Amino acid sequence: MVKTLASILASFALLVSAAIFEHWYVGSTFETFGAALETLEAKVRDEAATREDAEAVRTLWEADKKNLHAVIPHNDISQVDYWLGEAVSCIETQTYPDALSRLEVLETICRQIPLTYRITFENIF
Amino acid sequence: MGLIFLRTAIIFISLLAVMRLMGKRQIGEMQPFEFVITLLIAELACIPMADISIPLLYGIASIVTIFFLHQLLLLFDLKWKPFKTLVGGKPSIVINKDGIDISQLKKNHLDLSDLIESMRSAGYFSLDEVAYALYESSGQFTAMPREDSPKENKVSLPVVIIDDGKFDEKNLALTKTGRAYFQDILQAQKVRSVRSVFVLTLDGTGKVYLQCRGERYRSFRVRLPEGSSW
Repeated sequence: MVKTLASILASFALLVSAAIFEHWYVGSTFETFGAALETLEAKVRDEAATREDAEAVRTLWEADKKNLHAVIPHNDISQVDYWLGEAVSCIETQTYPDALSRLEVLETICRQIPLTYRITFENIF
Repeated sequence: MGLIFLRTAIIFISLLAVMRLMGKRQIGEMQPFEFVITLLIAELACIPMADISIPLLYGIASIVTIFFLHQLLLLFDLKWKPFKTLVGGKPSIVINKDGIDISQLKKNHLDLSDLIESMRSAGYFSLDEVAYALYESSGQFTAMPREDSPKENKVSLPVVIIDDGKFDEKNLALTKTGRAYFQDILQAQKVRSVRSVFVLTLDGTGKVYLQCRGERYRSFRVRLPEGSSW
C-alpha cells in the first residue's frame, strides 16, 4: 500500500515536473532564439546584416539544438535548420529581400513550436 | 509532457471503456485494465524506438503515464469496491440451478456455442453436469459440479440439436435423426414451438437437455432411433 502510494506520487511528480520543465525550456529557448532573429531581421531591413551576424544567430541555435532534440520532434529542428541555412546564405550573398522572407518563416516557426506544447483543446485532440 | 500525459490518459480511458463494453469474450485471463496496458505498452515502446524523429522521452513519458494510471487503478481497486466493479466488471453467473441464464450470456456478448466450448475446456461435456457456472471478471470460466451430477458412462459427445430456436442440420445428420423426431419430443414435453427452445442437446445414451426461454431446464431420456450412434 505504502509502496503503491509512493510510486503514484513519484511517477506523478516526475510527469508534472517534466511537463513544467518542458514548457519552460521550450518556451524560453524559442523566446531567446526569436529575439535573436528579430535583431537580425532589423539589421537585414537596414541592409546592414553581415555573415557574422547570421553566424552568431546560427551559433546560438546550434548550442540550444542539442538539448532541444530531447524534448521536441527532430523534424521541427530540421525545419529550423533548413530555413536558417537559407537565411544565412541569402545574407551572405546580400539578397536581403529573400533573407527577410526566410527570417519571417523562422520567426513564425519560433512562435508556433512552443504553442504546440500548450495544454489546449486543439493540441490534445 | 503535459500533452503526452493527457493524451495517453484519454486513450487509456477510451480503450478501457471499449474493453468493458465488449464484454468478457474479448478479455481472456486478464483484468480489462491489464489488457489495455498490455495493448498500449507494446506500441508505446515500439514507436519511439523505431521512429528516430520522435524523442525517446516521449515514449518514456507515455510509459510512465501508463504506470501511474496502473498504480492509481490498483489503489482504487483495493480501496473502493464500486470502482473495482466499474473498471474490472463482476463475475457473471451463466448457469444456475434453473439452467442457463440467457440474459447473462447476452450481456457478455456470448452465445450458446461459447458457453459449451468453455464447459468442454473445463472438463464438462453436458450442460446438466454443473450446478453453477460463471465467467469471472477476467473472462475465465469457472464451474461448480452438481452434487447429484449423473455419473454415467459417456458414450458419446452431447450435441446441440436446437440452438436458439433453430435446428442444427449438421448435428441432425450426425445423430441420424430428423426434425420430426425432435418435434415429437417437444410435443411430448408440451413445448409449443421450436422457436421457444433456447437449447436442446442429445447424447448417445438418449439423454436430452432441454431449456426453453424463461423456463427451468429439463433433463430426460428418450429412445434413440434405430442405428443412431455417433
